[in-house]
Amino acid sequence: MPKTRKLALMAMLTAVSLIVFVIEAQIPPLVPIPGVKLGLANVVTLVAMLILGKKEAGAVLLVRIIMGSMFAGGVSGFLFSLAGGVLAYAVMCLTVKIFPEKLLWVVSILAAIGHNIGQLAVSVFVTGTPSILVYAPALIASGIVTGAFTGLGALYLVRALNKLDKKQV
Amino acid sequence: MFKENNKKWILFFAALFIICIGAFLLLMRSGNYGTVAVIRVNGEIYEKINLDTVTVAYDIKIKTEYGYNKIHIDRGSICVSESDCRDQICVRQGAISSDGVPIICMPHRVTIEIEGDSIDA
Repeated sequence: MPKTRKLALMAMLTAVSLIVFVIEAQIPPLVPIPGVKLGLANVVTLVAMLILGKKEAGAVLLVRIIMGSMFAGGVSGFLFSLAGGVLAYAVMCLTVKIFPEKLLWVVSILAAIGHNIGQLAVSVFVTGTPSILVYAPALIASGIVTGAFTGLGALYLVRALNKLDKKQV
Repeated sequence: MFKENNKKWILFFAALFIICIGAFLLLMRSGNYGTVAVIRVNGEIYEKINLDTVTVAYDIKIKTEYGYNKIHIDRGSICVSESDCRDQICVRQGAISSDGVPIICMPHRVTIEIEGDSIDA
């Protein structure tokens, strides 16, 4: 892939994930448990990792987290987004090669659980209230559901994008 | 490394999901009755209240650089009655009276948990 094309694609993916992130932030949470969220922007991170690579996905994620907290999350949100994002990214990097493409949803679940654990760890640190760890099982359960959803979304998107790419060439 | 064995993974995560939900429900109910509510803001103790000695319900307003929370204190229970945070999770959680699950307002870094029986705990 030519460099310019790669850069344009990265910029576009960042913009898309930012829009998804900001729109999702406007939706009130479904369950009154802190940290439970669909995490649709994660679809974009997964797609970037599959069609561009690990480094590029990391860059897209980082820019989205920084700009996302400017637009929607606030100062407080930045730290949690970053902790969750970095851990989810690390899990993704470690597992994306291990699993076949068809099992992308497993990678996504593991990343979502990593994200939630990272956020919970920072929350304990920031609030000085270790008893909020009782939310851990609920957050793992939520990671399974949201991770499967975003993983399948990313898989279908990558397949559709590949088809589109072949048609153009 | 792993075969394309969708079924096994679905089963694995379904089981894990059920275990986690079960564990959380158990944890929520396993709380013991406590009397001391500890309100923390940004990791530091803001106030400790003995809920057993409350005779008339009252409110505390907490205003910080992160936002505003109104905390309602009644005999034996405590809740966040108002908050200007986006998600309103802390308000929707309702009142707590046991040490099971604490109230958190993550955007404002406010937590309320209930501890054992004595104020000096």
